[in-house]
Amino acid sequence: MNIGRIDSLKVEEFDAIIVGGGLSGLRVAIELADTMNVAIISKVYPLRSHSGAAQGGINASLGNTEAGKKDSPKSHAYDTVYGSDYLADQDAVMFLAEEAPKIVIELESMGAPFSRLDSGLIAQRAFGGAGFPRTCYAGDRTGHALLHTVYEQCIRKGVKFFDEFFLVDLIKVGNNIAGLVSLDIASGELVVFRSESVVLATGGFGRIYKRSTNAIINTGDGLGAAYRAGIPMQDCEFVQFHPTTLYGTNILMTEGARGEGGFLFNKNNERFMSKVAPKAMELAPRDIVARAIDTEILEGRGFENSYVHLDLTHLGSEKIMERLPGIREISMYFAGVDPIEKPIPVQPGQHYSMGGIASKYKGDFGETPLEGLYSIGETSCISVHGANRLGGNSLLETIVFGRYVGRAILKKNKQKKLTASDVKKAESDVFKSIENLFSSWNENTGKKPVEIRTAMKNTMDVNVGVYREASRLKQAVKDLQQVQKDFEIMHIETQERKFNFGLIRALELRSMVDIAEVTAVAALWRKESRGAHFRTDYPTRDDKQFMVHSLVTREKDELVIETKPVTLGLFEVKERAY
Amino acid sequence: MKEKTFVIFRQKNPDAKPSYERFKVPLTPGMTVLEALFYIQDHFDHELAFRYSCRGAICGSCGLTINKFPQLACKTQVHPSEIKKHPRVPNLEFGDLKDWDQEKEILIEPLPNMSIIKDLVVDMEPFWKFYREVQPFFDREITDEAPESTQTFEDARRIEKLVYCILCGMCWTCPVSGKRKDYIGPSNLAKAFRFIDDTRVSEKHRKEIYEKAMQENGVPACEKIFACNSVCPKGVMPGTAIDKIRKLEKK
Repeated sequence: MNIGRIDSLKVEEFDAIIVGGGLSGLRVAIELADTMNVAIISKVYPLRSHSGAAQGGINASLGNTEAGKKDSPKSHAYDTVYGSDYLADQDAVMFLAEEAPKIVIELESMGAPFSRLDSGLIAQRAFGGAGFPRTCYAGDRTGHALLHTVYEQCIRKGVKFFDEFFLVDLIKVGNNIAGLVSLDIASGELVVFRSESVVLATGGFGRIYKRSTNAIINTGDGLGAAYRAGIPMQDCEFVQFHPTTLYGTNILMTEGARGEGGFLFNKNNERFMSKVAPKAMELAPRDIVARAIDTEILEGRGFENSYVHLDLTHLGSEKIMERLPGIREISMYFAGVDPIEKPIPVQPGQHYSMGGIASKYKGDFGETPLEGLYSIGETSCISVHGANRLGGNSLLETIVFGRYVGRAILKKNKQKKLTASDVKKAESDVFKSIENLFSSWNENTGKKPVEIRTAMKNTMDVNVGVYREASRLKQAVKDLQQVQKDFEIMHIETQERKFNFGLIRALELRSMVDIAEVTAVAALWRKESRGAHFRTDYPTRDDKQFMVHSLVTREKDELVIETKPVTLGLFEVKERAY
Repeated sequence: MKEKTFVIFRQKNPDAKPSYERFKVPLTPGMTVLEALFYIQDHFDHELAFRYSCRGAICGSCGLTINKFPQLACKTQVHPSEIKKHPRVPNLEFGDLKDWDQEKEILIEPLPNMSIIKDLVVDMEPFWKFYREVQPFFDREITDEAPESTQTFEDARRIEKLVYCILCGMCWTCPVSGKRKDYIGPSNLAKAFRFIDDTRVSEKHRKEIYEKAMQENGVPACEKIFACNSVCPKGVMPGTAIDKIRKLEKK
């Protein structure tokens, strides 16, 4: 233990601290930068964030195309609620849809390089589950284009960045956030960031699975920290499996490829989507297409029992080069397939977490039950995606809610509530607990992180996938309890701290083992099929018992599940068919 | 099981003497260099330092010198291992490398012309400093009032390649970056041109960016070697963009 270092503990103090430099975090910073002393801490350079990997686009009912003339925020909201299998909170969805056109226009004014129509207006393409072509795009690298644009505006505004700082734990005093302890990756030092407004914008936790489209950095650091601070995790059983990920590496093959007219074929050359969604075909929502593909593979109609074909060859080289150049590049680099000539081998893979930190819609926007702590983007669950997110709605969520979380923080009285002595004591306690953790990791004689991580990913892939059932989910819970035990006595040397990515990845694993367990436990609890959560033993939706959000917390040694009602009222609840 | 030997550049801190270490990694189908590095970190030495994020060639984190040629580790296949060469790319030296068997071993070194912090991690701060220096942003008033400003299909299309720059820093392979620490560098000049050539940028700001790019340590410092175009993993063609800025001067 290194208690002697407490006195020299580095402290940075700001009006607001944002954790995460993706689109959500950057957009909050833009809102705050003019009037507040704000900093973003990010474990990678912000432009390396996973927002940059989003491909297809951002939804807004601009009605720029001929076919989209009659589109409206209400249609957008309806499609989103219907696509969510009625688990999304309808007031929040309506708000998202109403703000969408404004936010896209705002992005354009910041310089976002959107693709254009002949009219010169922002181009829009068809996307899964959408009644109109409303997905605005920049080729097939929309996330990259937007991430750079919003980062550029942060540079313009002189936002303060702490790049390569890792969030370890939150600091709280009573029911108030007081800041956080981070690890400066370069120096290896623990640094306190003191603030009574903290925003968690750390993205999703897809890396609890092996087969995932997510960046390697998507490890749920913000969720883990919040969970350890006692904040409930909402709707984590709803994991989106993207239907088309590249066979082998599981890199995303955008829904835009189907939006532009791509077909899916099994090995018998059948467009199998006709069996499950005769009207929408390939443009049914992701949960439905992912299940259809998995069914083909499970029933022996896939190629090599592992994948189906995403065929773009009929689109012609000109359209592919113009609209889907990134998809072509990825297929060629990573699978040796030129989609102009040959179909792309694809299979479903984990893609997005609909669930996240339970955060408010009404009142202080995005605030968690811990006062002054906000969460946003994939990290949060304000519930606009419900049981299944529509493509093009996640980029939208980051920017719209980023703006409003910023405004909620601005509205709050900046007067400090906490006394200096309480804050210092809390900081010192968290610091000590982290040093203790590092010491114990150093002294433990258990397994290496890689073994524990592999066991977690294996059980998530096998037992908490597209199709679920009680016996497998029970197995997953059992496996993950063992994973937790192994993690308790995990060994990794922690003496050398500078650029020790092994240590960083061990800290990431600390959050992932918790979130994986939450996901499996909630999936076992939800005895119905809704959106992305499909139980073969309960194959229908059960609105009577389960039209509720799940909230999971840890109490002593067990996980506790509570529920809260879904906000309805705008759209009538119906059966879902495409 | 088939194995591959990796010869990896190691340096404990900025002042330490560099060395090379060999690791044998069991091959899996389709394995990339990035995956091999993770294998080494997971199984042999968790302190092996390298940057990474998306593993899909879009984030720009994992640029390394692989077999003496700058490449993204995530999109470089371990098998078959390729020895890339290009007449415009200079010979890159990092440490005292002896007996590297080009046929059998994959050599991993950091990005060239940057200071080494630890192992394969280089100091990117100068790179970001020059990025910020060209003022790569729109200076319009931010507004959410419809309609959006228009741009023709062709005008939007023309800057697309420049927009795709992932700022990986591989174009610092440029020999000018090697000899001049104050050179703004190819990607950042290309970034300047992305804004200069965007029809929506105000005349005032276009001029400001142009002037930044035309400083003595910017476009005039470029020696038209075009190593940048040869190593760029995204086809951004920074050297060509620099040339276009230069031609604006003549107009």
